[in-house]
Order: sequence, then C-alpha cells, then structure tokens
Amino acid sequence: MKVMQRTNLSAEGINKSFSRPGEHDSLKVLEDIRFEIREGEFVSILGPSGCGKSTFLNILAGFEPADSGHAACCGERIREPSPERAVVFQSPVLFPWLSVKDNILYGLKLRKNGRNEAEEIASEYIRAVGLDGFWDYYPSQLSGGMQQRAALARALVLRPKVLLMDEPFAALDAQTRYSMQQLLLGLWENYRHTVVFITHDVEEALLMSDRICIMSKRPGRIIEEITVPFERPRQLSLTGTQEFSMLKGHIFGRLMD
Amino acid sequence: MTVSNWKVDYIGFVLPALIFTAWYLVTLEGGVPAYLIPSPSNLVRVAVDFATGHANLTPYAGTLLVHTLASVQRVAMGFGLAVAVGLPLGFLTGRISLAKSSLDSTVHLIRIIPGIGWLPIAMVWFGVGENTTLFLISLAAFFPIYVNAAQGASSVPPLLIRAGRMLGANKLTIFTTVIIPASLPSTLAGLRLGLGISWAYLVLGELTGVTYGLGAVMMDARMLGHAEMILVSMIFIGLFGRISDMILVGSFKRLDLLREENKE
Repeated sequence: MKVMQRTNLSAEGINKSFSRPGEHDSLKVLEDIRFEIREGEFVSILGPSGCGKSTFLNILAGFEPADSGHAACCGERIREPSPERAVVFQSPVLFPWLSVKDNILYGLKLRKNGRNEAEEIASEYIRAVGLDGFWDYYPSQLSGGMQQRAALARALVLRPKVLLMDEPFAALDAQTRYSMQQLLLGLWENYRHTVVFITHDVEEALLMSDRICIMSKRPGRIIEEITVPFERPRQLSLTGTQEFSMLKGHIFGRLMD
Repeated sequence: MTVSNWKVDYIGFVLPALIFTAWYLVTLEGGVPAYLIPSPSNLVRVAVDFATGHANLTPYAGTLLVHTLASVQRVAMGFGLAVAVGLPLGFLTGRISLAKSSLDSTVHLIRIIPGIGWLPIAMVWFGVGENTTLFLISLAAFFPIYVNAAQGASSVPPLLIRAGRMLGANKLTIFTTVIIPASLPSTLAGLRLGLGISWAYLVLGELTGVTYGLGAVMMDARMLGHAEMILVSMIFIGLFGRISDMILVGSFKRLDLLREENKE
C-alpha cells in the first residue's frame, strides 16, 4: 500500500549528556539513538518522563547540538532551528504582545511572502484550527486550548517539512486534550504533514501514530518500534477494542522494563 | 481601555486640604513673615505674573516661557543623550555575555558614586553652567535606563527566543521582534526613572550658574529675597516633570494603540 517515500528526517548514533552541577561525571540522557521518519508519516516517541525524549526533539529542532552522531532533514545536516522543522511546544509560547493573527503571520512575514498571500494562507489555517473570529484577540484573552490551537496554526502555516510536537497536549485538561487530538487527526488526514510527536501517554500515541518508538528510562534508547495497525480515520471508540487494549498492555510492559 | 482609573478618590484630597489650610493660617497677619512663607494668594498672583507679566510683581514677570524653554531644552538634550547611549548598551549587556562581562561591573562601580559627587569635577572639566548641566543630567539618567534595559533584555523567556528562531528569525530579527518588545515594560520603567532624575539634575546644574532656566530663577530669587519666586519655580518644575512623564508614558501607549489599529 505504501508508495516509495523519501526519508524526511533521520538521526544516527545520537548521544547527549548534561554536566551535573557540583559533580564530576555527567548525566547521560540519550544513548545511540537511531531514528527515521518518511514523508507524510506520523511517528510518536513514547517514553517515561525524564527519559530524554524532549532533549531528542530539541536536537531535531536544532535548539541543542548532539554530543555525537548525525541528524539530518532532507539530507541536510541539522545545525540550527529552521521553519522547515516547525515546533509546537508543550506550552503555547505565543508572543504576548502580538494578536493571534500577527502571531500566525510572524513566520510568513519573515519569509517575505506578499502581504495578501500571507493573510490568505494565515486565514486558511486559522479556520482549520477553529479560531476564526479570534483574529484580533491577544493570547492572554484566550484559554489554554485556544492558545495551543494558535500555536499549531503558527507552525502549520509555514508548511514545514516536518512538524515537531513536544508533548503538545500534556498541559491541557482531559476534554480539551481530546478535542485537540481530534483536531490534529483531522488536520493530518487533510494535509498529511510529517509529524514527530513526543508523548508519555500510551493511548494518545496509539490513537495518533502510524508508528511508535518506545524509549527506555534514562539514558534514553529506542527499545522498540511498533507499527500501529489501525485503519484511519480513527475515532475515540477505537480505544475500547481488544486489539487496542492488547497493544496498550504490551507497550506498558515495555515502559516498565 | 476604560476610564475607570479616573474615578475620584475623595480621601486623597483630605491631606492636601489640611496642608493648604495650615499654610493659609500661618501666613495670616501676625504669623510667619512673608519673606519666609508667602501666602497662598500671593503665590498664585506671583505665579500668574511670572507667566503673563501683566502686573510686574517681581523682576521675573513674564519670563516663564524663556526659562522653561531653556530648562526643557537641557532636559531633552541630556535625557536624549542618556537614552542614545543607555538603551543600546543596556540591551547589549542584557543579551551578550561578552558585553556584560566587559562592561557591567565597571558601570555599576561608577553608579555607586552619587551623581552630586560629580559636580566639582564636572565644573573643572566643563566650567559652570550649560555643559556641566548637560553632563550631570545625562550621566545621572544613564544608569536607570541602562540597568532596566539590561534587566528586561536578560529576562526574556528563552522559549520565546526558541519560538522566534524556529519560525525563521535570525539573531538580528530576534533582537528587534522578540527581545525589544518582550523587554518593553522594564525599559519603560527605566526611561521614566531616567526622565525624573533628569529634572533633578537639571536643577543641580542650573544652580551652578546659567542665565536662563527655572533652577537659575530659584537661585537668583534667593539672593534677591523673593521666597515666593523660589516656591513658584519649584511648583513649575514639578509640573513640567509630571507632564514630561505623562508624554513619555502616553507615547508608549500610543505605540501600542497604533499596533492594534494596524490589525483591522
């Protein structure tokens, strides 16, 4: 069923340690990570908290260098942040002095798109995330979930080669998280972005992804890759099926190892 | 934006009314002589005469505009100089560790010396009057502007900078589109402090001997025994200081308003 697809993002032999204040040895966070994602694929990196998964995302984003190893996007070595690898953080991190619209236009303006074209693209995505009518609101006037929608639109509007999401819904309440998951699934059906999705939530990973990379406790290594067999489009009811429960049980087992 | 902050709090008027009454009572016939404390009504008459010159009550009748222009010009130049040097250096110190390590400790060392302590050496270097005044104003106003700009720039949340970077901003555009707007509140606080200090050091500089200026009027009036003119000058300095602060804050608010209008 899968056509030949290009590798979009790859990492090879990534190691990372942090120096610990007041101690001689350093803290090994990532160990020999190998990772690959193809165009249009939705891959979750699932691991217990503190396993280094966010550090790995920061390396992919170009925020932090790896100690050793090689990370590349479309064949080009990752050295610094780029709109080709747009990030959605755990908190929205919108610019509080800009309106929703100007937050979303920020990257397009830097790209020197014409004003009309930029506004057209922005309004498409602002509708897609369900924020029409909130153009002129400031972030402080929006709820956490709406701010995260704006943050999602701000990243998508750049049409990145890969979207990096760092536990984007972890800080939201259960209902908002569920509606954001539905929103992201719907957007993904539509646009087929390449998504690297960091999460510690097993159900979320199973519901959203084509593939799940399970990371071990610190130092983080990828201990298993699972291809998620469920058909799309997926609904929440999927979580009640036996196959889902069995996979979930298996993954929990691996996380406990 | 609402007008609710204009709601009048009557309790705030009680103390001034008491002071005013006491002032009026002590200046009544047989009280404190007028060459020490002039009566409120006399003060008002002299103040109006200072502005309009219609009654020639003092040698300073009708000269308010000349003196004010001289003083405002000195404040504008001295404060402008402090802004021109203090803001860029502050932003640099706040963001670039090399600038901080090479500059910051020296600046803070100089900052410890009280501004007034510079007066004698300034008079040696610049003579009495004009240039000494400018030097004192810009020196004193520099520190709060520099310190607050640096503080604001250094406390910009790192995630905001990462967000800007991944959206495609290079280091320079991060400076103009993230760091400066994010540190605006702290920067404005520094500018307001600096402007207030500018008026204080204006008076100090003008006392050393300039021909025109509100500080010069105060010193001159003291020698000629016009206590009411000293007080009138003090009141005008307070008034202009307050107005200049309102203009500064207002222009910052205006910038915000303009930004909002662009969004229609």
